[in-house]
Amino acid sequence: MRLWPAILLLLGLTGLLLGAEPDGVMKLSIPKDLKHPMPAQVDRIWSGVIVATNPENPKEPPTELREFAPRLKRVFGYTQFELAGSATEEINELTENWLVPSPIFPLSVRARRATSKEARGGYLLNLQLFQDKRPLVDSEVKLAPGSPLFIRGPQYGKGQIIIVLQIQH
Amino acid sequence: MKPFEEQFTAWVDGKLTGAELAEFEKQLAEHPEAATEKEDALKLGKLLRAHPTAPALGNADFFNHQLMQRIAAETPKPVEKKSTFFWSLPRLAWAGAFCLVITFVLFETIIPGGAKHIDKSNYFAQVVESWPGNPNVSASTVYSADDNVTVVWLDGLDYIPATYALNK
Repeated sequence: MRLWPAILLLLGLTGLLLGAEPDGVMKLSIPKDLKHPMPAQVDRIWSGVIVATNPENPKEPPTELREFAPRLKRVFGYTQFELAGSATEEINELTENWLVPSPIFPLSVRARRATSKEARGGYLLNLQLFQDKRPLVDSEVKLAPGSPLFIRGPQYGKGQIIIVLQIQH
Repeated sequence: MKPFEEQFTAWVDGKLTGAELAEFEKQLAEHPEAATEKEDALKLGKLLRAHPTAPALGNADFFNHQLMQRIAAETPKPVEKKSTFFWSLPRLAWAGAFCLVITFVLFETIIPGGAKHIDKSNYFAQVVESWPGNPNVSASTVYSADDNVTVVWLDGLDYIPATYALNK
């Protein structure tokens, strides 16, 4: 039986027909940003300064950290996570954004919308973390909304300072 | 054939001569029936020559033709194999299904991350580059795929005593 080449040919032709654009039709692809130059919803960036410790009787993490606490336990090895301070700012792509979750650890953030698919409408951020007025680190990061980035800061007492950043849609 | 039998045949045919004949005739003394057998054999030879057994065929070619036809009719014919292409439609379908199964197994087992990774990886935090602000400080990126955690890991920072207020 030699029907199969004919079947394959038929399938191929069907695919071509379905995939072809009708003659004379020009498909315009307009970037979403051009359709809506002013976004209806402004994205925000949230940052927090976490103090991680290992007390004998660890307390429950605050509401803001409940989502992260199990992961932080596994990665950093601490049992208690307290929020020393937090700050939320609207993202302005035109200017430098300052986040001050703690006066000791201010953050300068420059944000641009990330074009990569995996960023899912997130941002390419140029971060600058300070301790008092001394720059600790400059970083270029891509963050998708809802995906926190942690910065392991200095030792604090018997614990550890952890700074967290998250884009909020 | 034994040598005696050979010699006997040659003797019957009259091919033994000289010393060979004398030697054989000595042996014949032990076989008194040999003379009778020789006579019988000679008689039979004469009779066969006088009456040939094969009858003369009037139409030998026709007879041969008939015989060959009959042999051909009675000989079972070997089953003729159809020369079909190896990739028949059912085989092609089975091969396709097999390939799909193999692909699925490879996707689930070998390809890093695989389908599970795609399902749960809404998480995306990628550190493109980090530059520490102090030469004594090092910055590296730690990513835990299992926990969906990305950390900019700073080492060499100054210790802060617990008495230092973080919210002045």
